[in-house]
Amino acid sequence: MKSFIKLENVNVDFPIYDDNNRSFRNSFVQTSKELRFATTNKDSKGRRVVCGLKNINLDIGFGDRVALLGPNGAGKSTLLKLIAGIYHTDSGTTSINGSVTSMLDMGFGFEEDATGYENIIIMNSVMGNPPKVAEEKMQNILDFSELGEFIHMPLRTYSSGMRARLAFSTAVETSPDILLIDEFLGTGDRSFMVKSKARILETMRKASILLFASHAIQVVEGLCNKGIFMQNGEIIFYGSYEDAYRIYEEDIHEDKRK
Amino acid sequence: MNFFKKNIALDDLAKEFCNYESWFFLAKFDLKLKYRRAFLGPWWVVIGMGLSAGILCLLWSTIFNLNWREYLTYLFSGFIIWMYISAAVTEAPGIFPTNKHLITSTNATPIFYALRKCTLNLLLFLHHIPLILIVIFFVNPDIEIRTLITFPIGLLLVFINVVLFTISLGLLGSRYRDIEPTVQSLMAPMFLLTPVLWKPEMLGENMTYIYMNPFTYFVGILRNDITGIEFDIYMWVGAFTITLINIIVFILLYSSKKNKLIFWL
Repeated sequence: MKSFIKLENVNVDFPIYDDNNRSFRNSFVQTSKELRFATTNKDSKGRRVVCGLKNINLDIGFGDRVALLGPNGAGKSTLLKLIAGIYHTDSGTTSINGSVTSMLDMGFGFEEDATGYENIIIMNSVMGNPPKVAEEKMQNILDFSELGEFIHMPLRTYSSGMRARLAFSTAVETSPDILLIDEFLGTGDRSFMVKSKARILETMRKASILLFASHAIQVVEGLCNKGIFMQNGEIIFYGSYEDAYRIYEEDIHEDKRK
Repeated sequence: MNFFKKNIALDDLAKEFCNYESWFFLAKFDLKLKYRRAFLGPWWVVIGMGLSAGILCLLWSTIFNLNWREYLTYLFSGFIIWMYISAAVTEAPGIFPTNKHLITSTNATPIFYALRKCTLNLLLFLHHIPLILIVIFFVNPDIEIRTLITFPIGLLLVFINVVLFTISLGLLGSRYRDIEPTVQSLMAPMFLLTPVLWKPEMLGENMTYIYMNPFTYFVGILRNDITGIEFDIYMWVGAFTITLINIIVFILLYSSKKNKLIFWL
């Protein structure tokens, strides 16, 4: 079966727990009060929420390479995390078919005292690939990262660019059906950037769906054939990349005029 | 049967169980990292533990006026078992907040982090066992054969409870941040209330009170057989009952709160 992503009427709300709300003692006091007086209004207990995603309807099919465009806080990362299975919804239906790999956060789970080599195995374990699988991929990862002798040095001796190389090389060594990328190409030197872009294109050819959130327009342009423009947690436009980009540009100019 | 297929707690548990290579590797690696930059490595922990248990033994056998040989195995094993259980309980409420970064960027289930932590604690406990063995063979080498069966079963039972409890308390501790300090401050009096330093029969007619303390059972099932205390069926019945409660609490809590965890971190 071909891979697809279908979202219907999906909402994601972030409940806000302030200090008062967050204590066990207080919630106990609150309920006991309510029991005794039974006058407290339901609304006063209703939590404040920040709206992450509002009424999202989306249908992404085989071969779609979708660019996520929009200002900061538009909900791009939230949408990616929802598809990655990190956030769960209360309302609406989410159906995803195909294996998902997400490159959302660089260098998560890195251990400073472990060597680069060991960190590759750690990262794989965290992503659910047992050490055996990691060892199989190792040569490709080592070749791609070009870290040479440094791979056997502890991570705390690495520069941020070297960390980025390690994280990217590890994460990209997968062959998923659905690939999610969130601002991944920002670090690393110029030659590594060129290489990474080529590599993503190659992985993309194998993967059937790509979702890519980035502000680096020149990178997105060569990769994507569709575009989503998001604002305030809503999808304003979903269609061809050119149209989405045009609407995004218009929005930026409108903001400037204000 | 439908319940077993649809319940997310059991589903996730099965998923992580199949993924055992990953978390077991990470736990082993955490242990390795812990000792990487130390000269004596694991020996420090063993020496430290031996030293504190030895001093406690010397002190309390004098105060209680006990035969120190007999008391030595009792205290050594009790103290080491207690340290394992109490470390697990104390770390439980903070388990998810400390792994926040991983939880918000990968789709591993919360059970994965609990298993990683609990396995690390188990490995730490296991390398204290030679210390107990040395003391046993030095002091009273006549332990019964059935210990070879009961001890592993006890260890497994304690591990299951520790994992389930870590997840349940971890979920609550992520939502209510004052559970962590509460648990930390409760564990000190619990140490005194659990028969680790003293023997239940020292309480005289108040002895039945120890059965109200859940820790008694778990310390009991692990310790009694290796120290030559008579087999006590109540300890096992109690431990199995608590396990059952733990399983039910875990299933109910996990099924309803798992998806909310991410918003609590």
